[in-house]
Amino acid sequence: MPRINVDEVKPGMTTSKPVSNENGIIIIKENTELTDSIIDRLKKMGIEYIFVKAEKRFSKSKEDMLNEVEKRFNRMSNKPIMDKIKRIVREHIEELYDRNR
Amino acid sequence: MTGIDKQKLRFKVENTHNLPTIPATLKNILNFLENPSISMNKISDFISKDPVLTMKVLKMINSPVYGFPGRISSVNQAVLLLGLNVIKGMLLGVSVFELMQKAMVGLWEHSLGCAALSNLMAKKKGLKSPEDITIAGLLHDIGKVLLAVNIPEVYERLIAVTEKHGLTILEEEKMVLGTNHGEVGSWIANKWNFPKHLVEIIQYHHEPNRARAARVECAIVHISDILVRARGFGFAGDNFIPEVNQEAWDILGFNDEDIKELLLSMEDSLEDYEDLGE
Repeated sequence: MPRINVDEVKPGMTTSKPVSNENGIIIIKENTELTDSIIDRLKKMGIEYIFVKAEKRFSKSKEDMLNEVEKRFNRMSNKPIMDKIKRIVREHIEELYDRNR
Repeated sequence: MTGIDKQKLRFKVENTHNLPTIPATLKNILNFLENPSISMNKISDFISKDPVLTMKVLKMINSPVYGFPGRISSVNQAVLLLGLNVIKGMLLGVSVFELMQKAMVGLWEHSLGCAALSNLMAKKKGLKSPEDITIAGLLHDIGKVLLAVNIPEVYERLIAVTEKHGLTILEEEKMVLGTNHGEVGSWIANKWNFPKHLVEIIQYHHEPNRARAARVECAIVHISDILVRARGFGFAGDNFIPEVNQEAWDILGFNDEDIKELLLSMEDSLEDYEDLGE
């Protein structure tokens, strides 16, 4: 479970542990999807780090990830071994996103 | 493009520790690494007397990138377990972290990804010292850092035009510098008396067919590099995948399922990667 700085938290990430304030009172439950206003509140309360779910580290959508893979392999068309590597990596990314859903 | 004299560049790179832009703590480490008579005791003392360095080294060794089952709690223990060369490489790896971040955003992540994947591949191939290969994965792009600190303007421009030209950074380096980050990295690895196989892996991670002493190891880092780029973990200076060397691919002999399993394990190893290096 990655622990990340509140400054790097983006809307859409989900907490993997409850967030408590300095008095130990839980202010945000586990499994909460973060919004701009929640993130603002965390910053105002002086919270430095929170734990978020790993899959939300992928700030990109699966489709964007796959498109980028295509682009990276652009120059390597018609090379069977590179096609194979591309296919394996595509399948890997699909599985990664499905697994973390 | 500005002609760069290779011998002059080499001299610069070999004297990186004299650069005014290098932080004092790193200078100490580089000076230390240069000493040809480093012993296990000396390196252990050197790291132990610096609490920040001790913490960084122990954090790295105990991270899932290495996958040791127990907890290694002292530098002495680490040196005994991993040997002088691995600790030397690790000392360099953790201390250039900040420079790496500055040289190229994402290079540290790319390097960690390669380290983790190289470690897993070495284990899968049943190699005797997966830790050596992990270090090679971590340091394979050290030449990029050396170029970025020694000829900052030239290298920055080089990276910028790489994208415009639609080339890989390797091709652009060859064109502009007449050398490449692999060779540049090997200069310093040689100077610091790193073991021959590590020098070779750094030098030939893009041309694994030229490796002599460490063919399998070089193939592992070569394939790891390409897979980590393909997956899009971190950034290695360009947006194109260099071509895989068929011979290296065949030496490892992994099938599709093997590769997928290795990639998934790599993702698990890197789940907490943000913690490493700080």
